[in-house]
Amino acid sequence: MIRVLCLAAALVLAMAAPAAAHSVTAGADLRIAQTIAGAEVTVVVKGTTRVPGPLRIGVIAYQPVSGLPIGLEVRSVEDGHTVTGTVQAAANPQYTQLQVERTGPHELKLSAGNETAVIPFRVLVARGSAGDFLIYGGLFVAALLLVGGLLSGAPARPGRAMAMAAGAAAGVTVAAMVIVFESQIPAPPPEGAAPTPTTSTAGGRPYVQARMETLPARPEAGEEFTLRVDLIDGSTGRSVDDLTAHHEALAHVVVTSEDGRYFRHVHPLRTAPGHLEVRLTADRPGRYLAHAEIEREDSGGQLVAADFTVGGTAKASRKADTVSRSGQTGEPATPAGPTGTPRLQPAVPVAGRPTTIELGTPAGVRTWLGMTGHLLIRSQDGRFFGHVHEMGAPRSRVRFTFSFPEPGRYLAWVQYATADRIVTAPFTVNVTASEAQ
Amino acid sequence: MIKRWQAVAAATLVTAAVALFVVVRSTAAEPVNLTITGTRYAATVLIADPAPGQVTVEIKVSKGDADTVALSAVMAEMGHSTPEISATKREPGRFVAVGELFPMSGVWELSIRLDGPAGEEQLAVKTLITR
Repeated sequence: MIRVLCLAAALVLAMAAPAAAHSVTAGADLRIAQTIAGAEVTVVVKGTTRVPGPLRIGVIAYQPVSGLPIGLEVRSVEDGHTVTGTVQAAANPQYTQLQVERTGPHELKLSAGNETAVIPFRVLVARGSAGDFLIYGGLFVAALLLVGGLLSGAPARPGRAMAMAAGAAAGVTVAAMVIVFESQIPAPPPEGAAPTPTTSTAGGRPYVQARMETLPARPEAGEEFTLRVDLIDGSTGRSVDDLTAHHEALAHVVVTSEDGRYFRHVHPLRTAPGHLEVRLTADRPGRYLAHAEIEREDSGGQLVAADFTVGGTAKASRKADTVSRSGQTGEPATPAGPTGTPRLQPAVPVAGRPTTIELGTPAGVRTWLGMTGHLLIRSQDGRFFGHVHEMGAPRSRVRFTFSFPEPGRYLAWVQYATADRIVTAPFTVNVTASEAQ
Repeated sequence: MIKRWQAVAAATLVTAAVALFVVVRSTAAEPVNLTITGTRYAATVLIADPAPGQVTVEIKVSKGDADTVALSAVMAEMGHSTPEISATKREPGRFVAVGELFPMSGVWELSIRLDGPAGEEQLAVKTLITR
């Protein structure tokens, strides 16, 4: 009997090992792209396994920056405890370690130049699961009883042996039951997690209305201005402050001139709940279009758009803007980055059918905004906007598949990051109507 | 022999009950006790029975000299919002509001609007309301 139980305990122990791998890992990294002090960076906050514990923060630069110090301030929203530090943005950044005292809601304040962003986040620490406790507790009791029973000479005394065996069997039974049913028991939320609805009946949150404006109201060509995006909930009228890091940013804002010669893909800073801001400079007067992609918690992505006018007279282009360069539409790829011109399959895309767009890339392409490549598409009139991703790992080309919704002329930009900058390759696509239409 | 098997069964049942208790306890709802610190004020929200319908919410202001406290709630998931309720000052730093803040169960964001010599500030906490 004892031998059988020993064997059972050993078998269960062997089975218990993979079960531990199901446990929730402590807070995953938070990655947020920001356009701050004229630089395109991604802030990485590495999770901690305990509190009080270290929170490591680094800032990855996607363009050459020489000593861009970024001030950091981490504040617990619960008790107001604040720690500060600085970090240097770099292609392979050094991480600054700050001490957090508790789990739950926090705010990370970034300061660079005269710009400030406040990013809300939660410090999460995995809680020990009740299932694991029962599995290991049950097995521990069983093992203790079996070994104790053997040592105390229980086999020679049937009554005591039976009691030991019963206890061991109970321990093994509990462990085995939990192993079998653990997958059906919901894992406890990590410590510091936001409350989640027990039953969700809503399929996504209400729509967002965006009010976009420039400061000053009519920017001058060649002069820096602020593009401000205020987000309002369509059902409550309140500020929308529940944006998720969608493709590593709270918002992806693409600003293009009407003719497409100006292109910026930027990531505005959250200055206050529901308020996003980014600084830009347009080199020529005219009408500009702004498309902002956002995603609320538990919802799908949304696109909001606006337009604004830049006054003044055309200014000579500033030094090469490495955040993203504007280029001549319709021209082949610029010499510095992409290799060759985009190849389209079919060569003349047909509306409503998938078109494949492929562009050769140099060696050393690295993931940016969670993807190897980005294709941004705008119809000539600006009423349609699309954002397509290359999902594969970096290699010698980026490839996108997209069905242009209607015939006509589209402006398109392929973007990817190399070791030291973000490359933007502009081109145009003429889409024909399908014969069936 | 029967007695021994009964003992085994009893031991197993007791252990299973303990296991169930541990699992259930980890998912049960509890009274709300949340603290939030803003730039001007810090407030602790206490709701003894967080359920839909009439609730009593106690606000303890531990930082800042608040004269008035008003509460309102938003359920972001459904896009619901509730009217603002003024809290009554029971003693310095202690306010109590009674009203129908949460018409249905779910995750609600409770907005606390504090006003005093330091100025106005709005703080918000998220809380789960269950039946």
